[in-house]
Amino acid sequence: MQPRSTKTTSTVVDPTAVRPAIDDVDEIIRTTPAELRGVLTQLKARGFSHLTDVGGADYLKREPRFDVVYLLTVLPTHAATIAEIGKPRRARVLCGVDEGQSVPTVYDLWPCANWAEREVFDLFGIPFSGHPDLRRIEMPDDWEGHPLRKDYPVRGPGRDRTPRPPFPGKENVGSRIPPTREAAERLRQEINERLHHGNGKSGEEKA
Amino acid sequence: MSDHLPDWIGSEGNPNNFGDPTAVLEPEPYEVVSRNDDQMVLSMGPQHPSTHGVLQVVLGIDGETVTRAEPEIGYLHTGIEKSAENLFWNQSLTVIDRMDYLAPLTNNFAFVRGVERLLGITDQVPRRAQQIRVMMAEMTRITSHCIWLGTHAIDLGAISPFFYTVDLRENILDLIESASGARMNMTYFRVGGINGDLPEGFLERLDELIAKFPRRMRDLRDLLQQNPIWTDREIGVGIISPEDAVAWGLTGPALRASGVAYDLRKIEPYSTYEEYEFDVPTRTEGDCYARFLVRLDEMEESMRIIAQVRKKLEPGPIMINEPAVALPPKPSIGLSMESLIYHFKLVSEGFRVPAGDVYGAVEGPRGEIGYYIVSSGENKPWRVRTRPPSFYNLQALRKIAAGNLIADVVVMIGSLDPVFGEVDR
Repeated sequence: MQPRSTKTTSTVVDPTAVRPAIDDVDEIIRTTPAELRGVLTQLKARGFSHLTDVGGADYLKREPRFDVVYLLTVLPTHAATIAEIGKPRRARVLCGVDEGQSVPTVYDLWPCANWAEREVFDLFGIPFSGHPDLRRIEMPDDWEGHPLRKDYPVRGPGRDRTPRPPFPGKENVGSRIPPTREAAERLRQEINERLHHGNGKSGEEKA
Repeated sequence: MSDHLPDWIGSEGNPNNFGDPTAVLEPEPYEVVSRNDDQMVLSMGPQHPSTHGVLQVVLGIDGETVTRAEPEIGYLHTGIEKSAENLFWNQSLTVIDRMDYLAPLTNNFAFVRGVERLLGITDQVPRRAQQIRVMMAEMTRITSHCIWLGTHAIDLGAISPFFYTVDLRENILDLIESASGARMNMTYFRVGGINGDLPEGFLERLDELIAKFPRRMRDLRDLLQQNPIWTDREIGVGIISPEDAVAWGLTGPALRASGVAYDLRKIEPYSTYEEYEFDVPTRTEGDCYARFLVRLDEMEESMRIIAQVRKKLEPGPIMINEPAVALPPKPSIGLSMESLIYHFKLVSEGFRVPAGDVYGAVEGPRGEIGYYIVSSGENKPWRVRTRPPSFYNLQALRKIAAGNLIADVVVMIGSLDPVFGEVDR
C-alpha cells in the first residue's frame, strides 16, 4: 500500500474478479440474463425477501461489458424483533450484460425494482424486457446518451474539457513579448500608431 | 413527456400578453386537468411547498379520492455518482456529502466504511475516531429528524413546531460546526479516521445540550403527539403492511414503523455501536402516526447514544497510523523528509485502493444508506453506486397513496421523509 505514480493506468479489466476476501456479503452469484430470473426466484424462495438495491456498472473493456448488480437481504416479511432478524445475510447477484442485450425485469418479484431498473436503463442504457414502464427517470426524456457509461464525457457531450472564458487580453500579452530588437521596434510603432490614429479596432481584428 | 402527463405540460404556456400594461387581461382558462373516463389527472409539483423539494406527483383522482399516484423524480439530478468517479477517494467525500444534504455525515460514514473495507484497515481505525464518528452520526440523525418534523408539521398547518425544531437543530449544528468547520456538507470523515479532533470546550457544550435535550423533546411531544388535529390527520393514513414494506424495499423508520426491527446499528454493529445501550423503536401500525412516533423515539435514543459516547470517549489518535493513507501530522512535515514526500504525494495524487468491489452501509436517518464501490486499483473510484434509502422509500408512495384523499398525499410524502438530493443524486 505504497503511494505510487498515477501515470501508469491500471490493467485491471474486471475488478470484481480480483476482489480481496471481504465478508461484506455472504454470497456472490455471477449469472447471465437468461438465467437471472431463475437465480433470483430461487434466492427469494430461500428467504432473500428484501431487494435492497439494483445498480449498474460499466467495465468498458470487459466482455460482457456491463454488470447489473442486485443486492438482496434476508428479512422476515412479518413484524419481527431484532433477535428474530439477527445478523443480516446478504447476497449479491452480478448479471453480465453486453451492449444491445436486455435483462428480464424482476418487477413482478419485487415491486421496488421498478424505479431501480428504470434508473439502470436511464444511466447505462441497459433495457429491461417486460418492464411495464421503461422510461428515463433521472435525465430528461429527450436526452441522448447514457451518462454513467465510461465512454460518456464527464461534462456532457462535446464538453469533455472545462470551458474557459475567452480572454483576449492575455493572448495579446503573450504574443507581444518582444523576442528581438526589431520586433520590439515594430511593437512600439504599432502602439504609437494606435495611440495616435486607431480606436482599438485593429487590436480586435488581430485578436 | 410521457402520455400520462397532463396535456398542458409542454404547451406554449399562458398566452396572456403581459407586454401591454393597458390591455385588459383576460383570465385564461387553461386546462390544469385532463379528463379521461371518470378519472381526472392532476399534476402536483414539482414546485409545490409540501413536496419537500422538487417532486412532481401525477395524481389520478376521482372526486377527492386518489386512484393512482405516480411520483416523477429527476428534477434535482446532479450526476454525483459520475462526479465521484473522477475525484480522488478522499475528494469523493465532498460530493457524496451533497446527496443527502440533511444528513451529510452518514453519507460520509457509509462511504469511508466501504473504502476502509476494501483497504483492509477497518480494524486499524483508532477508537477515538470511531467514537467521534458515532457521536457525529447520531447528532446528524437528530438534526435531520428536526427538519423532517418541522417541515412535516408545516405541511399539516402547524407552524410553531418548526421554530422549536430549528432551534434545536441550530444548537446541534453549532457543535458540529465547531468540530468540522461547516454547518452543512461537513466532510468531517476521512478514509482512516476523521479530519480534526474535537475543539476545546466541545464536551462542556455537549453536556449542556444533553442536559436540556429531554426538555426540548417534551416540548415537541406536547405540541404534537396528543394534538387532536395532528392525530386526526396522521392515524390510519398511509398504512404499509410489513409484507409490503419489505417487498417495496423500505428501510429505516418507514420499515420499523411497520414492525420489522431492521436497524444496522443493532444487527450489524459497526464503529463501537455494540458497546452502547439503546433500543430500536418499532411500531406495528405502519401508518403515518407510527412513523412519526418512531422518529421521535429515535431522536431520544440517539441522544442516549451520544451521552454514552461522551462518557466513554477516550483520548487518543484520530487518524490511522498508515502513511500511505493518512496525511502526516503537520509539524512533522518541517522535520522529516519522508513526511514531506508523503504529504506531497497524498495531496497531489491521492492514495490507491486495491482492485475489487465492496458494499458498505450504515443506518442513516432515512434508512440503510449504502455504497457499492468498485475500485480498479487506481487513485479514483471506478464506480460508486449509492443505495439511496429515500429513493426506495418514496417509491412506496405509489403503493400507499391510492384510496386516500388528496390532502393525505401531503401527509404521506412528509412521513416518508424523502430528500431529493439523494433521490435524484
